[in-house]
Amino acid sequence: MTATLEVRNVSKTFESDNGDRIQALAPANLGVKQGEFLSIIGPSGCGKSTLFNIIGGMIPPDSGEVIVNGVSVSGPHKDIGMVFQEESTFPWRTVLDNVAFSLEVAGMEKKERLEKARHFVELVGLTGFEHHFPHQLSGGMRQRTAIARTLASEPRILLMDEPFGALDEQTRLLLGDKLLKICDALKQTTMLITHNITEAVQLSDRVAVMSYRPGTIMRTIDIELPRPRDSELISTDKFAAYVGQIWEDLRTEADRGMKAVGEA
Amino acid sequence: MAQTGMNPRLRRQVLTLQVLTPVVLVILWELIARSGLLYEGVVPTILEVASAFWNEVSSPELYHHFGVTLMELFGGFTIATLIGVVTGIALGSRPFVSSVADPFLSSLATTPKIIFLPVVMLIFGIGPESKVALGALGGFFPIALSTMSGTLNVRPVLVDVGKALNLTRWQMLVKIYLPSLVGPIIRGMRLGLGVTIIAILLGEIKLSNAGLGFLAIEYYNTFHIASMYSILIIIFLTALSINAVMSYISQRFDRA
Repeated sequence: MTATLEVRNVSKTFESDNGDRIQALAPANLGVKQGEFLSIIGPSGCGKSTLFNIIGGMIPPDSGEVIVNGVSVSGPHKDIGMVFQEESTFPWRTVLDNVAFSLEVAGMEKKERLEKARHFVELVGLTGFEHHFPHQLSGGMRQRTAIARTLASEPRILLMDEPFGALDEQTRLLLGDKLLKICDALKQTTMLITHNITEAVQLSDRVAVMSYRPGTIMRTIDIELPRPRDSELISTDKFAAYVGQIWEDLRTEADRGMKAVGEA
Repeated sequence: MAQTGMNPRLRRQVLTLQVLTPVVLVILWELIARSGLLYEGVVPTILEVASAFWNEVSSPELYHHFGVTLMELFGGFTIATLIGVVTGIALGSRPFVSSVADPFLSSLATTPKIIFLPVVMLIFGIGPESKVALGALGGFFPIALSTMSGTLNVRPVLVDVGKALNLTRWQMLVKIYLPSLVGPIIRGMRLGLGVTIIAILLGEIKLSNAGLGFLAIEYYNTFHIASMYSILIIIFLTALSINAVMSYISQRFDRA
């Protein structure tokens, strides 16, 4: 259950409150192969989240198109499963009912959907917490619940916007390990938006580096590290070389971003 | 009520004082009533009130009036809740409309609803219908305002989760908006219920032919003061029980 995803000439300009026009995305092009894990990395304010929202169909692009399996799509699409940056579990639902949500709204029968949800709860390592409410869980566990909820709808493409952004570095590395295992199990086409270089290298087959506003894909780097991987990789020389290489590309852009917001 | 988490000795002291307060008040009342300082018609003795209370609760007439007031309350509050919640969601889901409506709603909410009594009487007459209408009008505003601000504050990311899954408008309402609004709606209902009770009793006292408020004012007019007090006690106990039920409901369902 995988698919290809292509972003063709997508651009977006916003109007700010005082009437200035801000070009968030210059025409951006990007392709994700079947079963590939691609990370998009860029400095703050490079339009990463805008790209995420356009691919997910939450906002329309000014120009260009998003193509899933060769078909141009507009609006939210059932083949694309989104995991949001912000905490997005439903506080009034237990972990199990959260995960079963997408199946429930699709009209799946209760017994069947709970059984299926249990499988995905197990996949993200939350067995034993099925009947807990989100407020009884840690931030990492809540984000895993959100990921399981998205996975349960069996999207062909998993699209994630800094899912571990609000977590501390250690939790982030451990969740990265979990995500690697899940991806190995599902062979899912995955696109991850991040600003964390370590995370991008740890997880990806390929990393696309974005420029500062107007955001565009500057180049992509193949991460030729063996799979299955885990977070122990980060102590290897090869890992450090990739991190260094990406930082090299990113540095001038991040610097431009800081100057633009007056921090440097 | 003694707060949980207080140390046991302090909690015992608080409880003791809470039990003692009404006892002391009753004794004071009795002393004043017997002192002859006040006209005995205004402050009857506890014994007189108790015997009037007994007469009331053993007469079928009370239950008729009690029933009328409860029905008015139930009718008025149900209408206030339904219309309040629907209006609140309708306004809150359109930020532009809600910013237009907000000053009107807020200023009407703080206007004493009793001023609408003549209008309501003209339309609905002096029977229970006008009390239902006045109660509904009173309860409507706090419920609508609380639901509206709750709707405006539904977390956008939860709405996005629904959008990403292509939810229908109905699913969006039932699966995302309403569960997010349980807290604001219940808080609005608690406030609204108080206003509904006041509006209905005021209506009954002012002009009516049935209900606890009518009975109290009847006893006042005919100078049956002890009986009047016993009706006030019944009203007080009724309001207390309704509030206890509402507290239970809000603790049970409002997880915010």
